[in-house]
Amino acid sequence: MTITRRYLLAAASAAAMLAQPMMAAAQDLPRNIRLVIGSTSTGGDTYQNSAIVADALSEKLGVNIKVDAVGATEAFKALDRDSRGTTMMMFHDQSYLGNLYGVTGYDNPFENYTVGPTVAINPGNAYLVPKDSPYQSMEDILAAAESGERVRVAIQPGGVSEIGFSAMKNAARLRSPGSEENIVAVNTGSQSDKNQAMWDDLADVINGSIQANEQFTQLPEDDQKAMRFVWVTARPETLEQAPAEGMGDTTRDQLLQYAAPNSSVPVNEEGENFTFDKEFFFLFNQETPQEFIDAVDTALAEIYEEGTIQERQKAAFFIPNYLPTEEAQQHLQDKRSTYEEVISEISGDAS
Amino acid sequence: MFEIITPLFLSLIVGGVFVGIVFGAIPGMTATMAVAVSLPLTYSLGLENGLALLLGLYVGGISGGLVPAILLGIPGTPSSITTTFDGVPMAQRGEGEAALRIGIVSSLVGGLISLLILWLFAPTLADFAIRFSYVEKFLIIFFALSVMAALSSDMLLGIFSGVLGVFVSLVGVYDISDGGNGELRLVPPGTEYWLDGGFALLPVLIGLFGLAAILEEAERGVPSAASSDEIAIGKSSSFSFSVFRGQTLNLIRSSGIGTFVGILPGVGGSAASIISYTNAKTFSKHPERFGKGEPAGIMASEAGNNGLTGGALVPLLSLGIPGDSTTALLIGAFTLQGIQVGPLFIGNNPTTWNAMIFAMLIANLVMFAMMYFAIRYFALVVTVPKHILFPVILMMCVIGAYTINYGIMFDVWTLLIFGVFGWLAVKLRLEIAPFIIGFILGPSAEVYFVKSLESFGTLSIFFTKSWIAVVLWILIAGSIAGSIAMSRKKAGQVADPS
Repeated sequence: MTITRRYLLAAASAAAMLAQPMMAAAQDLPRNIRLVIGSTSTGGDTYQNSAIVADALSEKLGVNIKVDAVGATEAFKALDRDSRGTTMMMFHDQSYLGNLYGVTGYDNPFENYTVGPTVAINPGNAYLVPKDSPYQSMEDILAAAESGERVRVAIQPGGVSEIGFSAMKNAARLRSPGSEENIVAVNTGSQSDKNQAMWDDLADVINGSIQANEQFTQLPEDDQKAMRFVWVTARPETLEQAPAEGMGDTTRDQLLQYAAPNSSVPVNEEGENFTFDKEFFFLFNQETPQEFIDAVDTALAEIYEEGTIQERQKAAFFIPNYLPTEEAQQHLQDKRSTYEEVISEISGDAS
Repeated sequence: MFEIITPLFLSLIVGGVFVGIVFGAIPGMTATMAVAVSLPLTYSLGLENGLALLLGLYVGGISGGLVPAILLGIPGTPSSITTTFDGVPMAQRGEGEAALRIGIVSSLVGGLISLLILWLFAPTLADFAIRFSYVEKFLIIFFALSVMAALSSDMLLGIFSGVLGVFVSLVGVYDISDGGNGELRLVPPGTEYWLDGGFALLPVLIGLFGLAAILEEAERGVPSAASSDEIAIGKSSSFSFSVFRGQTLNLIRSSGIGTFVGILPGVGGSAASIISYTNAKTFSKHPERFGKGEPAGIMASEAGNNGLTGGALVPLLSLGIPGDSTTALLIGAFTLQGIQVGPLFIGNNPTTWNAMIFAMLIANLVMFAMMYFAIRYFALVVTVPKHILFPVILMMCVIGAYTINYGIMFDVWTLLIFGVFGWLAVKLRLEIAPFIIGFILGPSAEVYFVKSLESFGTLSIFFTKSWIAVVLWILIAGSIAGSIAMSRKKAGQVADPS
């Protein structure tokens, strides 16, 4: 067969067609969509979760979706600039916690953007102590603060890492007003910095995660790096669903011992326990056409109905958690109100 | 272990190295970007095959940076900055091909030595690395900063330029992700929208080295003839392995420094090549030749930055903590496969561990083979007439700047601002090398300095924290004394030219 220019052209056209996604299910959607995320890391949980959801959505809607790890400030700016629906954002509870803690660059997402569907939970948020620490539990930590002992907690300020710390202070205040002053923050950056703060004896407790810190809990006590969980902030119902692969050699039952109600951090006088699940959800520009948001919602509903995405999410230690826009908005608003109360209680702003 | 070495495994390494070299060789594209783009592919490839691809990209990306650094004077990656110091003068003398071959051989040596160290000592080194707290990390950065004077033709102007670089690097928010307070500093009113994130490193780098050089050439008038007449690649001297005679210690020391800096999370690859380079200069019998086309300078820089590749994997695989931005992405590949990386990783996953070591070994050898034998084709870039070459470079710089942070337009403006700044700086006698070193190291220096004071509450902690701190102070004092001695010698030579 002689390869003529016509053959080459035909082959090129065919290749170009194959490279395009299948015909758009929703004809009105932009063909190319940018999914900006609130993290600059392409190795972190926000990126991984977004990549999984973007893949599934892209296939379902027949459009190209590219995940861009631009970070929170730039992601909000990109969302502000684009009301056509060609830019959407994926982030987690940090988006409103940053606002509650007054971090620069964080507006109230419920007022300035349209909060969209939730897609997954990362159940790993945890607090750890050195393995040879005198503190065996949250009860020990709160008792120490009550007795006037200073407990240093390494966190990254202004968001997800701080909310558990705020809850600890609030619990100390409920137990013995004034004792919350003995729970002090050691402001650090990455997980590496928090671990290092513990190894340098600069922190008595560190914020961490099941995924990142579990192996350190398996080390022998005489190892300088050895740690022990004292608190897993996830709801017990969430932990029940957590994929076992992400727990390492720690069993689900063991982890449940560190979560409410076994590890108790009261949030109010009634003794209700504080819990925190890190949830991922979409954010849209307020002027994004409703049909676009509906199309994303419908596509996600179908994707979760089919069930394949759940397997990918679980393999990456996420708990699938699809809530359609309306339900998600209500759920996240309620969550925000609870945390707002905790933060205002400890800052003395509560009325 | 041998069951994982399949044709697919090997071809992914080869493909990864090739794509990595291309990414590293294009100004503005980096190894990190190559790994980020390919990360989603690893899900379908499985863990060992996925890692083969990513490690190939990593080794290729780090190594590819030396090509534009030597031939165009634009570092392909921040850790190639010191390669430009001697690579460009060699290329201008018509020894571009020799410079590239020296760089490639040194990269291979650095990569293999660091791999050997990783294989033999990973967990032990990780235990040593955690002794480096904020204080020791600050002192390492300070040590790297102290070389600014040694890299300058005028010590005072060099120090001023370096401090200016530190100052400019601190523009923007003191990021909460670094443990900062989230407040803006050094941002003029009205510019908060653009400057809240400060100036990104890569656009600054390619602006200062790429655009500034183009503006300078444009000012002189670009000849329409092919530049090959001016830069006769490989014509004036051919490469011989004899150039490495007497450089064994330099190569081993630089590879060791690269590996060691890689082991310390948060210190950064640029510090590796900067410290390696200045050590080579300090211990050289002919320090005056450095910066003027001295092969030992290229050896130190390239062995240092490739030494980083094995070093950065030590904390990743022994502590679950990435040593640099590229290895941070590798964690994603593990997580996507449901594998946790931490202190038990090597013991619990011997197959994956062996596969990684083997993949790194093959990647280094493939990198060497590809680059060493393709050098003639790389070198052809300087035979392209400048009136064609410069617009292409400019276009690549703009695309690189725009894509480096996934599409932020201000990064393109940053490129332009620092291109013009770089062009003007030479006229004002400011020194670009210390400026960029200050710019790169400034943010880490600030964080570790502030965190040291926040944690220990006294300046004396920098002298009393540990024996490591004392050793680092001795190195810093030696570096400063060396710079002063060198500066006096230079001044003496100017005063007495006979």
